[in-house]
Parts: sequence; structure tokens; C-alpha cells
Amino acid sequence: MAAAALRPAILRRIRLSPSPAAAAGAAAASQPHALARWLARPMSSHDAHLTRDEVVDRLLDVLKCHPKVDPSKVSPEAHFEKDLGLDSLDTVEVVMAIEEEFKLEIPDQEADKIDSLPLAIEYVANHPMAA
Amino acid sequence: MASRSKLSGIQRQVLALYRGFLRTARLKSPEERHRIESVVSAEFRENARNIDRKNFVYIEYLLRRGKKQLEQLKDPDITGLSTLEINKVYKPLNLK
Repeated sequence: MAAAALRPAILRRIRLSPSPAAAAGAAAASQPHALARWLARPMSSHDAHLTRDEVVDRLLDVLKCHPKVDPSKVSPEAHFEKDLGLDSLDTVEVVMAIEEEFKLEIPDQEADKIDSLPLAIEYVANHPMAA
Repeated sequence: MASRSKLSGIQRQVLALYRGFLRTARLKSPEERHRIESVVSAEFRENARNIDRKNFVYIEYLLRRGKKQLEQLKDPDITGLSTLEINKVYKPLNLK
């Protein structure tokens, strides 16, 4: 997040300069790594990888929003079928919703194995491209 | 971490088909997507309630029909609902 903190300063410098290219060059010369990281952010989530807590919070939200889930029963240990009363078609929907939330595409063989929050947390937290 | 009890091959095919429909629906406009999801969800659940899980011949038939419908639905020019509706006309005698 150092890059994010530097962003306003970099933007100010770039905006105020009559020569944007020169300003960018100057910024790069003085803080090359920070600028490189900042410029890379739109194309990559690697240096902003999700924390496990973030993953857990967002997964809990996805589950609570599903029409067939009782939000009071949602916990980080919940099993979709045993604890939340979902059937296998519901579980497909939940895993699809997780894909959309984290901008992933989960292959069928992997998706078939995700039947509980702990497994969903592991899958997303370990996925390098989860955003 | 115990994983789900092993899905039978035919169960996996049914879930994969359902997932395929939901994936394809995501590529349509929001209104079309909502309609497709409603129709598909209702049909899969109706079949899950009404069909004997040992009736493999009929289940295989439904899987083949579903895969054809899914391929048609992937055509961006097809809204898909009319196809789905038309195919619902057929009801085998053993269905209550």
C-alpha cells in the first residue's frame, strides 16, 4: 500500500507540470520502484493480494446474500449442505457467486469439491488472481 | 477437512450442465440473464423432485437434451427462452 500512499503526490506533480512526460520521468527518477508499482496496479493485483480476513469477510457476505441462506447460520466454519441446508444445485449457485465476487473462473473439478466455507476460503485465499 | 461425499458421475454431469447454463446466462443482458436463471433453476429443481434417480435412461436423455439447449443458448443472437419453453412441452408418461 506504499504505492497507494504515494499516488496523490505523484498525481499532483504530473498534473501541475506543463510537460507531463517530463514530470513522469522526474518522478520515475526519484522514486522508480514506487512509480513502477503504482503504474502496474491496473494490470495486476499481485502487490495488492487479498488478506485472509478480507477473503473471509467477503465470502461471508456472498453467503448471507444468497436467497436460500439464513444469515444467522453463516459462520467461517459452515458447511453448505449440513449447516446451511443447501442442496447440490444451491451449492453450484453459491460457488458461481463466489467466482463473480472474486473475478475468478473455477474449473468444474475444483468447483465440485467446494462444499463448505473453509474449503472456499482456502481456494480463494490461495488463488493468486483473486481480486 | 472432509470433502463432500463422492458425487456420482451422473450427478457431476448434471451439476456441470447447471453450471454451464449459469455461466452462459452471465454473458447475456441482465434482464435475459435473470429470465434464463429462473427458467433453468425451476426446470432442474422440478426434475430433481420428480425423477427417480435410478431412471438412468431418462436422465441421460435429459442431459443430452440439456447440452443441446446450452449450445444453442451460447449463440449471442439467441435469447434462449423460447427454445427452453418449447422443449418443456414433451412430458414422458411416467412423470406424475
